[in-house]
Amino acid sequence: MAVKARSHKAEKFVERLRKKLNRQLVGSLAGCVHCGMCTNSCHYVLANPDDPTYAPAHKADQIRKIFKRNIDWTGRVFPWWVHAEDIRTDEDLERLKDIVFGKCTNCRRCSLNCPMGVDFATLNRMARGLLVSVGVMPEGVAVVSKDQWEVGNQMGVLPQDYLETLEWLSDELENEFKDPAARIPIDKMDADIVYAINPREVKYDPRTITDAARIFYIAGANWTMPSDGWDMTNFGLFSGDDELGAAVAQRVYDKVIELRGKTLVLSECGHGYRSTRCEGPNWSGKGVPFVIESSVLTMLRYIKEGRILVDKEKNRDPVTFHDSCNNARSCGFFEEPRELLNLLVTDFREMYPNRAENFCCTGGGGAMSMSEYTPERLKSAKIKADQLKATGAKTVVTSCHNCVDGLTDVIRHYKLGMKVTQLVTLAANALVIPERVVVPVEVQ
Amino acid sequence: MSETLRFFSDELQLMALGFMAVVYILRIRWLLKFKASRDRQAKSENMSASSLKGIVYSWANVAMPWSMESTRQMTFFYIQFVVFHVAVATNIGMSFIIPYAPGLMKPVIVVRILQILFGAACAIGCHRLYRRLSNPAIRLISTPDDFFSLVLLTVWLFASIFAAPNRPDLGEGSLMVYFIMTAFFLVYVPFSKISHYLYYPFTRFYFGRTMGHRGVYPIKRVPQTKNTAVKG
Repeated sequence: MAVKARSHKAEKFVERLRKKLNRQLVGSLAGCVHCGMCTNSCHYVLANPDDPTYAPAHKADQIRKIFKRNIDWTGRVFPWWVHAEDIRTDEDLERLKDIVFGKCTNCRRCSLNCPMGVDFATLNRMARGLLVSVGVMPEGVAVVSKDQWEVGNQMGVLPQDYLETLEWLSDELENEFKDPAARIPIDKMDADIVYAINPREVKYDPRTITDAARIFYIAGANWTMPSDGWDMTNFGLFSGDDELGAAVAQRVYDKVIELRGKTLVLSECGHGYRSTRCEGPNWSGKGVPFVIESSVLTMLRYIKEGRILVDKEKNRDPVTFHDSCNNARSCGFFEEPRELLNLLVTDFREMYPNRAENFCCTGGGGAMSMSEYTPERLKSAKIKADQLKATGAKTVVTSCHNCVDGLTDVIRHYKLGMKVTQLVTLAANALVIPERVVVPVEVQ
Repeated sequence: MSETLRFFSDELQLMALGFMAVVYILRIRWLLKFKASRDRQAKSENMSASSLKGIVYSWANVAMPWSMESTRQMTFFYIQFVVFHVAVATNIGMSFIIPYAPGLMKPVIVVRILQILFGAACAIGCHRLYRRLSNPAIRLISTPDDFFSLVLLTVWLFASIFAAPNRPDLGEGSLMVYFIMTAFFLVYVPFSKISHYLYYPFTRFYFGRTMGHRGVYPIKRVPQTKNTAVKG
């Protein structure tokens, strides 16, 4: 029987797979023993116990079989023996797309539960990137990626809209504090802090920018926001496109360098934090000559140094904390938010499991932009809903804009009646505004 | 001991071992041909984070069932894993002891302990086979190699129960079967999933290095106090 030729896209997919492989990826592709220990770590599996195709090892095998058929020796010689199988048609690519984009949020929970150290989330991201490179991706991923390439931010916020928003936020701030200095500085040179945000804040939730500005103002920070290169989110993390990842991260780094900023502070966004702080230097292939930190750490430091005062009695609702997968499982950032939270609220109830073992909000991995998979996403969210409900809290706090949207959807769908908020909002609410002492000036 | 049995227990094993070593060297060479990617990100905001700590933790993961939710929740499965792997390693050791240091297996108690270990591992192998066939998710991911490797090890462990007394004077059949199976096992392993231990140091090294550098490893877990857990 003649071997069926690959379609052009499939040919490119396999060609790029060969180039993309590194030792870590090959180890993860060759090392799986099909023990199934990862199965119950996945929220998709737990919510769909009768559908074994959600098992992480099975999903990984859809990538692994292509590797085995084309690169691994046993699979090349005895393909049927190890379930090696080539990818040949555009339909095969579409099927793979529905698995890597629609059945996994790249939360990395299975990676942490694999006895062999197989990092499925990294394999899945690689497969996403390969598909994107041949134009196979959900519509939402294409649209958002295009915006980030072309406009410079993932929500297509135009420069004038961004600057106008900061302008009216500044007016409000000035009005609130009755101080002409209470404004959001833009492109200030030699600032101690360059503050980068998620475009969602400009577009849908500008109060978080005001909250941060309020804190910086009261702390007397020498800070600024950049006029461009301000989007610290990075769709390259979700789409698997390292080129986009590098370009977006570098845009932010270049602006900080241009402004001679000392520290790049990132607003609360899990994937933005991971992309800009952890993965960006790997994608761009360069180190970063300044400090990058989460605004959570900045706020915590201000409180510890006495630069801002907070009164936790102002936040009396029982709250729980949701760890963003990117923050906790991929960047080890889970204690600082809790330390801050304990200073800001009177009733903090831990969610179980938590920290690096927490379940995804189910909106991760760019899932919120892939509406074709929404029913599956919301079904899998049952696990998160149960987890939230068990805390008995009225508010869920998270340090991630994406999780805010993901959790809001879960809460609405499962009628949990909870609120979602972020640490910056709680901190701004708990702020003790110092009395301004008016010193009489002697008239000459 | 007949000349045939001596050949099976000595020269044949050495040939099989030599073959396995050559294939393993080629396999590792193949793996090392792929470039390892670097970690350029700044150190974690968690001051105690360290790549070295992460690597050690990751390597030791196999001996720390409490470190992963999957092993914590499947304690019996983990015990099976330990018994099975200890039995396989011991069985390989026995294939050296019988021809080169038979005195070590003279005491009856040693033979009985080995037989109990191999018997337990054999039962575990049967249970694993049942699990692979009955659990839809495991069945779906299982390849012919997965089934064959498991059957091969289970039958080999079964054969070793009869080989452990090492009494060729009572009949060489059981020892012949044992050594032929061992030689086949050694030749087959590098092409099968049984060679996973070859990858373990690499996969765990790189995963541990990244997770340690970022402060994820060692996993920090806070025991549940007042809320109800969500069963994972």
